[in-house]
Amino acid sequence: MAVRRTARIAATIGIVGAVGLGLVAVAGGAYAQPQLPPVTPEDLVNSVLTHADPGPFNGTVELDNDLGLPALPQMPQAANGTSTARVWSGGNHLGRVALPTDTGERTLVSDGTTRWAWNSDDRTVVKRPAGAQADRAAPTDPAAAVAQAIAELRATSTVAVDGTATVAGRGAYELVLTPAPTERTLLREVRVAVDAEKRIPLRLTVLATGSSGPAVQVGFTALTFGPQDPALFTFTPPPGATVTDAPAKDPTTQHQDTTTVGDGWDTVKIMRRPAGTTTATAGPNTPDLSAIGTPVSGTWGSGRLITTAVGSAIVTDDGRIAAGAVPAPVLTDALSR
Amino acid sequence: MSALPDTGSLRDAPRTAPLRRLLGAEVRWVLRRPRTLVILGLLALIPVLIAVGVTVAGRRAGPGRGLIGAVAGNGLVLPIVAVTVSLALLLPLAVAMAAADAIAGETACGTLRGLLLAPVSRLRLVGMKAFGVLVVAAAAVLVLAVVGMLAGLLVVGETGWQLVTLSGTTLGIGQALARIALVVVWAVGQLAAVGAVALAVSAWTEHPLVVLAAVLGGLIVFGVLGAIPTLEWLQPYLLTSGWSAAVDALRDPMPLTGMWDATWRALCYLAVGLSATIARMLRRDA
Repeated sequence: MAVRRTARIAATIGIVGAVGLGLVAVAGGAYAQPQLPPVTPEDLVNSVLTHADPGPFNGTVELDNDLGLPALPQMPQAANGTSTARVWSGGNHLGRVALPTDTGERTLVSDGTTRWAWNSDDRTVVKRPAGAQADRAAPTDPAAAVAQAIAELRATSTVAVDGTATVAGRGAYELVLTPAPTERTLLREVRVAVDAEKRIPLRLTVLATGSSGPAVQVGFTALTFGPQDPALFTFTPPPGATVTDAPAKDPTTQHQDTTTVGDGWDTVKIMRRPAGTTTATAGPNTPDLSAIGTPVSGTWGSGRLITTAVGSAIVTDDGRIAAGAVPAPVLTDALSR
Repeated sequence: MSALPDTGSLRDAPRTAPLRRLLGAEVRWVLRRPRTLVILGLLALIPVLIAVGVTVAGRRAGPGRGLIGAVAGNGLVLPIVAVTVSLALLLPLAVAMAAADAIAGETACGTLRGLLLAPVSRLRLVGMKAFGVLVVAAAAVLVLAVVGMLAGLLVVGETGWQLVTLSGTTLGIGQALARIALVVVWAVGQLAAVGAVALAVSAWTEHPLVVLAAVLGGLIVFGVLGAIPTLEWLQPYLLTSGWSAAVDALRDPMPLTGMWDATWRALCYLAVGLSATIARMLRRDA
C-alpha cells in the first residue's frame, strides 16, 4: 500500500516538474490585451508630445534586429539578432546604460558633469565632459527621440490607435503610423506602444513592405519607476583601467553639410564627409562602410549602395552619404539634384 | 547471557537504519572511490591552468579576449570563470560518473541486490543515492571555487582583495565572496538537475556507460539545438540554455533574472528526474 502511495506521489512530482518546465518556458509570453479607456489618435499623439518627465526609472530594453545588415566590428548590435541593454535614469542628466555581451559589458555612465564609457574587453575608460554633445540635434533620450519622430511624420501619415498591448507589464495603447500613399518609402507602418499612464513610448516596431515580421523592434521588457540608488550614477575607474579623454570634436566640422531632400517618410539626408577624412581616419567609432554594399553609378557619380529592410544608403566616392527609409531610386534622385 | 536471542528486544529494535548512518555510509562510499578523487583533483587543476595561462599571456592581448581575459590582474574573478567554463562539460561529467556508479554500477556488480534486500525502504535508498551524487556535485564545485580563489589571489591577484566587475565597478572582498558563494550554490543546483536525470537513466539501465553516454550526449544535443536559430522557441526548455547566467554575478548591479530562470528550469528537471528514478526503483525486483 505504502509503495503504491509513494509511486503516486512520485508520479505527481514528475508531472508537476514537466508542467512547470512548460510554464517557465512560456512565462512572460502572451498577455491578454488590457482594457483601457478609449482614446482618439490625436489625443494620444498630443499627450505623447507633451508628456511630463516620467522621473527616475530603471528597466531593460531589448532590440530585435532583422535589418539584414552584416555584423560591423564596432557595432555588434547592427547585425541581425537580439541585444539587450539595462538602463537606469536618475533624472537631471543622470543615467547609466549597461550593454552586456556574453563575455563582457560596455557601460555608459553620465554623472551630471562627465560621461564615462567603460569597455570590459580591453578595460578602457573614455571620459568626456557632459554637454559636449548637447548641440547635436539627436536627442539622447530615446522617448524624446520617438516623440520627435512622431511629430515629424504626423503630417504625412495616417495615424490610428490599434487596440492595446502589454509592454513590460504595463498597459499601453498601440499607436500606428501608416505612410500616406504618395510617400515613396520602404516602410509599411510604424507602431508605437504608448504607456497608458505616463504617456511615454514603451516600444517601437518598424514594419517594412514585403515582410510580415517586424524589421526592427526596440522596447522595454522590464520597467520600474521610482527613486534610484545615487551610487549608480557615479563612476570610478577601476584599478588597472586605462583612462583616456575623448578626442575633442570640433562641432563646426561635424555634420555641417547635412542637407535634407523631401519631407515626411521619404526624407533623404545627404551628408558630406569633412574634406580630407577617409573612413580610416574618421575615428575609431565610425564603422568602416567600404567593405559592404554593392557598387552603383549614375549621373550623380558613383558609390556603394547599402540596402536594408527599412532603408538604403549610398556612400559616394566623392564623400557624400545619402540615406533614408526609401528605395534606391529616391536616393539617386536626391543625389542628382 | 543466554544463547537464544531475546526476541522481545529484537521486535522493539528499529526496523530501518537511521538516516544519518545511511547518508554517512553512502558519502564515505562515494568519496573513497579513487575515480571520484581523481576527477576532483583534475577539476582542481582547471583554475590553476587558467591562472598560469593568463599570467603567461600577460595583458598584451587586445580586444575580444573573452571571459578568461577578464581574469588578468583580477584574481577573484577566477573562481566564477572556472565554474562557468567547467559547467559546460566537466562538472556534468563528474556528476554523471557519480550517478552512473550509484545505481547502474551497483547493478552491474550485482551489489544492488543486497541494497534492495536490506531493511531500507526504496525511497530512502533513492534519497541516499541522490545525496551521494549531490555531495560529489558540491565537492566538485567547491574544489573549483576554493582552488580558483587561492590561485587567483596568489598568481594573478593584481587588484588584491578587490574584484573589478565587468561593469567597471570595484567590489570589496565581502561582496566578492558573497557573489562567489552565490555562483557556487547556483551551480550546485544546476548540477543537481543533471544528477537527477543521470540517476533516472542509471535506474533504468544496467550499464554505467549508458549513463555517461546519455548525459554527455544529451548535453551536446542540447548545445546543438540551442545554437540553431530557427529552434529559438526551444531554448526555454533546454537545461543548458541558462548556464551562461553565472557570468551575471560579475555584473554590477547584478541581474538575477538569468540565474533565477535557470534555477526554476533546474528544479523542473530535478522533479522529473527524481520522479523517474523513484518510479523505477519502487518496481524493481531484488
